Amino acid sequence: MLTIPAARPGPYAFDLSTTALLVIDMQRDFLEPGGFGASLGNDVRQLRRVIAPLAALLADARAVGLTIVHTREGHLPDLSDCPPAKLSRGAPSRRIGDLGPKGRILIRGEYGHDIIDELAPLPDELVIDKPGKGAFYATELDGLLVERGIRSLLVTGVTTEVCVHTTVREANDRGYECLVLADCVGSYFPEFQRVGLDMIAAQGGIFGWVADSAQVRAALPTTGVLQPSS
Amino acid sequence: MGSIGPVPANPYPWPYDGAADTARTALLCIDWQTDFCGPGGYVDAMGYDIGLTRAGLPATARLLAHARSLGMLVVHTREGHDPQLSDLPANKRWRSARIGAEIGTAGPAGRILIRGEPGWEIVPEVAPVAGEVIIDKPGKGAFYATNLDLVLRTRGITHLILTGITTDVCVHTTMREANDRGYECLILSDCTGATDKANHDAALHMVTMQGGVFGCVTTSDDVIAATAQ
Repeated sequence: MLTIPAARPGPYAFDLSTTALLVIDMQRDFLEPGGFGASLGNDVRQLRRVIAPLAALLADARAVGLTIVHTREGHLPDLSDCPPAKLSRGAPSRRIGDLGPKGRILIRGEYGHDIIDELAPLPDELVIDKPGKGAFYATELDGLLVERGIRSLLVTGVTTEVCVHTTVREANDRGYECLVLADCVGSYFPEFQRVGLDMIAAQGGIFGWVADSAQVRAALPTTGVLQPSS
Repeated sequence: MGSIGPVPANPYPWPYDGAADTARTALLCIDWQTDFCGPGGYVDAMGYDIGLTRAGLPATARLLAHARSLGMLVVHTREGHDPQLSDLPANKRWRSARIGAEIGTAGPAGRILIRGEPGWEIVPEVAPVAGEVIIDKPGKGAFYATNLDLVLRTRGITHLILTGITTDVCVHTTMREANDRGYECLILSDCTGATDKANHDAALHMVTMQGGVFGCVTTSDDVIAATAQ
């Protein structure tokens, strides 16, 4: 058992063999200058500060042999899995499926939909394509985690108050113990970053725990201790 | 039957498709239980001010009467666990113990968050009447491990109006689940409440970002005023 003593609201304990690193929606459409997120007027620098600490954590997690799961938000090219209410919310010409700066916006298979080069998944890592904000709804995530005996999730990615929060809430209801890494999650809005993290740890950790990636990296062994699961 | 909308709301006049047919719209009353807003309940036992979680009761009672008069589907939810605790995740139990209100232990309103106990019942102001749907849920979200989605789809529901407590926890989790499932959601600022006022405000603000990332925010008066019979 490894422990992160300084986690909020209290120490977080996890076992490497039952823990996965979850990397949520680190996609070009959300993170790259000139992408979909930026075209809506968002400051992508608020998200890009996550890349360096997350890349370092990902490297350490790979060295240890931790289960790694990436998620991508996106829809089928014919939009058959996009609810009308979601489709209608975008500004005209910047709706899901419209041609954006990096291909059709939030469509599976398009360049902008894929994960940024700095965090590109390795061939043996899981990639979950999700139609919603939560990574559990209408995906195979829960089944894959159960199959691997995963109980604890180290949660990273974007954006803190939308997809990260929705996924943590889903995971928490399913009994997973979530540690959200404050420097590895990002929001376009600093106020939501702060309050989003506070909400996780409120009421005795109602959705989980919060810590920094440095604390996790310090706790991880320096060499691989786990056998690959597949 | 009638219709609701367009309702003045933030960030767009709700609903997205102009007006909600009351036959296809449900009023969701989330976790108005003694454990969350009554004396001696779970939230009271944790030391929070139940005045904050009770604040939305009068407005919700008014809206509930309105929905009933329209013949709308009303769905109540209750968070709770079976007496053997077989559906209580270990970490949820551990956390509740850590803050001095362990789920399943005896409190002033019976065993905390246990189905069938007095504290788990819905408070009288917004109590269900015969014919209304009651969903018992083990988590914060009303869709996970329940038949809510099946009930709504069977009734042909496409639009949801959300009330209940607490804004940032069970109401928000349920709204996020509903939004991912394609329901057009409207949350009411005067019919919700949280153990922390700042979290209530932030949760409502989050809904309105990015063109309404989870739906819209308005008040019960605006809903009632935008009803056509």
